Amino acid sequence: MNILVCLKQILDPEIPARDFRVDPARREAERGSADLVTSIFCENALETALQLRERAGSAKITVLSYGQPSAEESLRKALAMKADAAALIVNDGNANPDPLTTARVLAAAIRKLGTFDLIMVGREAGDWGAGQTGGLIAEELGMPCVSFVDRIESEGGQLRLKRQTDTGWEVLEAEPPIVVTVTNDEHNLPRIPKVRDVMMSYRQPLTKWTLDDLGIEANEARAGNTYYQVAELFIPQKETRCEFVTGETLDQKVESFAKRIVEVTSAL
Amino acid sequence: MNDVVICLFASAGFDKAAQGLAGAGRRFADEMGGRLRAVVIGAGADTFALEVARLCDTVIVADQAELAEYQPETCLTALARLCADLSPRAVLLAGDTYSQEIAPRLAYRLGGSAVGDGVEVRVEGEALRVSRQVYGGKAQAVIELKRMPAVVWLRARSFAPAPTRTEAGKVNRAALDLQADTRTRVVERKREEQGEARLEEARVIVSGGRGIGGPEPFETELQPLADLLGAQMAASRAACDAGWVPPTWQVGQTGKKVTPELYLAIAITGASQHMAGISEAKIISAINTDPDAPIFKHCQFGIVEDYRKVVPLLREKLAALQK
Amino acid sequence: MNTAEATRQIYWNISHIWVMYLLLLPTAAVAGYGLYRHFGRWRRGLPAARFDRPAERVQLVASHALAQRRTARNRYAGLFHRLITYGFIILAIATTVVALDADFGTTIMRGWFYLYFQSFTVDVFGALVMVGTMMAAARRYLKRPKKLFYTNEATLILAAIFLMCLQGFLIEGWRIGVTRDPWAAWSPFGNLVALASRALMTDAQMQAAHWGLWWFHLATVFGFIAWAPYTKMMHVITAPLNIYTANLAPLGASLKDIDFEKTESFGVNSLTGFTWKDLLDLDACTECGRCTAVCPAHIVGKELSPRDIILQLRDLMHEEFRISDFGFRNDQNKFGNDANESSNNSEESAIRNSKFEIIAAVPATSPISLWQCTTCAACMEACPVFIEQMPKIVDMRRHLVMEEADFPDSMQQAITSLEKRGHPFSGTQATRLDWTEGLNVKQVSEAKDAEVLLWVGCGGSLIERNQRVTRATAQLLEQAGVKFAIMGREEKCSGDPARRIGNEFLFEKLAKENVENLNRHDVKKVITACPHCFNTFKNEYPQYGGKFEVFHHSEYLAQLVDEGKLKPLAGLDKKLTFHDPCYLGRQNGVYDAPRQLVQISARGNMVEMERSRANSFCCGGGGGMSFVEEPSDKRVNQERAREILETGADTVAVGCPFCMTMLEDGINARKGSRDVRVMDVSELLWEAAQPRAALERDPMI
Repeated sequence: MNILVCLKQILDPEIPARDFRVDPARREAERGSADLVTSIFCENALETALQLRERAGSAKITVLSYGQPSAEESLRKALAMKADAAALIVNDGNANPDPLTTARVLAAAIRKLGTFDLIMVGREAGDWGAGQTGGLIAEELGMPCVSFVDRIESEGGQLRLKRQTDTGWEVLEAEPPIVVTVTNDEHNLPRIPKVRDVMMSYRQPLTKWTLDDLGIEANEARAGNTYYQVAELFIPQKETRCEFVTGETLDQKVESFAKRIVEVTSAL
Repeated sequence: MNDVVICLFASAGFDKAAQGLAGAGRRFADEMGGRLRAVVIGAGADTFALEVARLCDTVIVADQAELAEYQPETCLTALARLCADLSPRAVLLAGDTYSQEIAPRLAYRLGGSAVGDGVEVRVEGEALRVSRQVYGGKAQAVIELKRMPAVVWLRARSFAPAPTRTEAGKVNRAALDLQADTRTRVVERKREEQGEARLEEARVIVSGGRGIGGPEPFETELQPLADLLGAQMAASRAACDAGWVPPTWQVGQTGKKVTPELYLAIAITGASQHMAGISEAKIISAINTDPDAPIFKHCQFGIVEDYRKVVPLLREKLAALQK
Repeated sequence: MNTAEATRQIYWNISHIWVMYLLLLPTAAVAGYGLYRHFGRWRRGLPAARFDRPAERVQLVASHALAQRRTARNRYAGLFHRLITYGFIILAIATTVVALDADFGTTIMRGWFYLYFQSFTVDVFGALVMVGTMMAAARRYLKRPKKLFYTNEATLILAAIFLMCLQGFLIEGWRIGVTRDPWAAWSPFGNLVALASRALMTDAQMQAAHWGLWWFHLATVFGFIAWAPYTKMMHVITAPLNIYTANLAPLGASLKDIDFEKTESFGVNSLTGFTWKDLLDLDACTECGRCTAVCPAHIVGKELSPRDIILQLRDLMHEEFRISDFGFRNDQNKFGNDANESSNNSEESAIRNSKFEIIAAVPATSPISLWQCTTCAACMEACPVFIEQMPKIVDMRRHLVMEEADFPDSMQQAITSLEKRGHPFSGTQATRLDWTEGLNVKQVSEAKDAEVLLWVGCGGSLIERNQRVTRATAQLLEQAGVKFAIMGREEKCSGDPARRIGNEFLFEKLAKENVENLNRHDVKKVITACPHCFNTFKNEYPQYGGKFEVFHHSEYLAQLVDEGKLKPLAGLDKKLTFHDPCYLGRQNGVYDAPRQLVQISARGNMVEMERSRANSFCCGGGGGMSFVEEPSDKRVNQERAREILETGADTVAVGCPFCMTMLEDGINARKGSRDVRVMDVSELLWEAAQPRAALERDPMI
């Protein structure tokens, strides 16, 4: 089985809210003190792929990313987690392209890399969170797509996908090739790579391409805004003052708290 | 054409989301001088359509056998054809799983642009602009869609419902020659026990976070509290990732977006990804041992104490006050 | 009688002495083989450089092998053990003298030497040995302390020693009795035997008994010598050897470095992963059990037992290392040189590197136990023969973390957070500069004239309670007119949690980054309020090029008080006690500076806990344990909290952010309705340095 997992490297989304700043002119977040990390759903996707391989016995897992040169770190970490091959398309244009651009670039690279039974992306990126890349790649490649998957098994030549819904979950049977978007679950938290594997990952080959290597409209991709563009980006100011209940004893405090709750709920 | 189409799944029922979607659609259509049409698919679509018709100009029903239950490829194909036939300026969907899954692909097939989790939609001259939260809820972006139709899935419940028409709109059955696309097929469905109401519909929510410390307190401490308040249970991503509660309880940027009157956050830090799911809550209140926890910046009132000490006592007090 | 001619006939009543010489051969062979086996096993370990600074090493041997200062920490045990040791030494000297006179024609045992030493001293010491063994037996079999290891071998050894001395006296007594030795009075105990025997036996009987017992005694003693290397009597050789090759650096510098380029396997999961010194440690153990008795994890009922780790590994080593494998060594020259490249011959490699995986297979080193260690090093401090238990635990952790990526989830979160964000507190919304609000604190890039760097640390900046400690320290420095600066956002975790959890790779990365940043800013002096940072900077950063003068904040503040730059005013009229942080006290020898600060506040009302200074009882936060949820009935911090509460103190002073967190939790859990504060020494000093009125307006508490 040939699996391809897309990864996106983003600014660490878990920096304290206080430290988060945006550049309104460039309409993107400021780097500030944030480190660069792999978006969590991409890691969930990779972990799901690794677990599928363990269950199935064997599979080749390729990881792919479209981003800045620093995205190589994310790919190396994926290799350390025992992905088999890695490729990076270096973005020398709009650093925050629209989802269709991303999907077109990735789809072109996927065609160049070969044929795959399963293409996996995170349900959305941890920064812009558009949630469209997976579906649009499926359309570009003419494949079906199932979203919010958290577990995959292979049976015969078919895939069994478990995916989350608003009310519970569903299991779908699917015929490869297929695109899948992955969401988080208690079972697909990304594994910690062994240090030895981290060291070895730097010695593995990593394919690098530019937009011109892919046989697409490179300049349009560089502009990255034919589908949509960000007109404004700002941090909304929110002023709420929290009233902490007071009381000498725990009993009194909880009494006040209970009263406030009843005030709110009795009006419903 | 300046029409707006809203897409609804009959299986979801005529809930707050459907009403909000219709409301958003109506206002939008009025702004652009077009009509509001609805596409309803799935088993029971014709009965469902009657309720929708009270809010829209036309309703198209597609309840072919192949569409009885949601199957991703078949439903997408059907919707794409139906929307293409209607040539709308915009297609709106709610924020449920199926709509989220379909929206981008629908936009692709219609040659338009999609954007999701919209909280506001505006027409600015020729352009359509949608506001949404980004960066894990820390910032707000205004996205300008470049291709038509615009396909937008919304936080439907936070939109005011549409006014009921004096005269119901027309209901037409779609003539679709459809073949089921069996490259993917749903073979099993499970509904988690969430009581009668759904989390997104809940008016009072009791939610637990990492600080709860394990699965038992959700059951032994928080559930009885929720029962007393007639509330639904929810959790932060940390609690779900730890396996303490089912993933359907997750509220946040990548979980449910809820719009309750009262959201009680117990042992939840209040990271922006979580706040992104409750930004439309009317009143947020928290129990947390850390007075500097970010959650308190979004609360109207709160208590700084260990939930293990507060919750049992709180249940006592509430029971007494409710008598 | 001419005292100058005082002597006795060697081999009186004994003929065919050649039999004794003959019997020496198998004795030497068996004993020698036993010694060879030990030596062969140690050689299978990796290299270690433990032969430098010989003068200091000799000093250690004198203090601890000879004077046995650590053994004597238990007065009773120290006494009987010294009696036995010195007795044996004296007897050994005496026997050597006899051999010299008998075989080499010397005439040493004559005259005053014979009387004072060979007769009197030897008799007295022989008797003292017997007293010692009886004292030991009384403790072992009547008092039955739990920490001892009860084996038949132990009983047999005690019995044998007692018996040998008894036999000696009987033989001497019967010789004295039959020969009517004119110098009998100089051998008081032998003389007693003689007098008693003459009353009960005839000369002929005594002579026959003497003859029989002399040969029996020979057999006993030779048997004992041959047997000794196969028992814990081996400690007579391994203990001084182990003490000689001890780690001369402070306890805080006990962990080994890893050369990531050259090392085949990270951490230890088989005996050949240990160094020869580690393997020697295993053989030096005297089964005294003191390490386990002081281990905080063990004391609160957890599985961890340092003694069992050492003894089970020792037994494994004896079982597993076959004599046929002794030909294979881990390198050319064991002592002090680096290992050569590993052999390409995989078969040889497989034989050479023992594949028996210890972590899963040896009960005492199961992961459950390994993850209970707080790395406090109380075990190492207690060990009379300087065994290094804690570094072996960390070695095994390193294997689990770096080779298998298999370690507790809560520690995984801390590690991931360290990798991504440079601090272990996953989920915190605090930033490194939050504590500076309202204070005029300069960052190192702006403050070109700063004399000293205040290294805040992760605890001091990101934990709300500890931010107050940092503020107190900064304000005191400012008040004293000290020009200091901070690293601000450039500060990353010192790496201590990563190192103790076992991720040496991550530690090295953090260390190199920090050292690079510090050197870039030309930092020379560092003050820190965290003993873990203090230890890392002082003992672990120099090898990454970080050579700084490092102070714990209590040291620097105490110095400022001495210099008059800080003038504390009032005491607190409260009863105070001080909890020695393991990484400051036991591991780095700093006990007095923090006490000086506490005394200022206590004004004489300071009470010391029984487990203080080098004996301090860990708060339970080290070794990554502060990130772990412990079972509610086995919490190290609550045990220490109990001890603190028993002192009756209103305030316990601490000097570490981990201790602060752990003890506040522990005391809150146990204090009931009492009002007990946990305060850092800097906070106490700050309180004492404020005018009363100001304090009432804005209390730090």
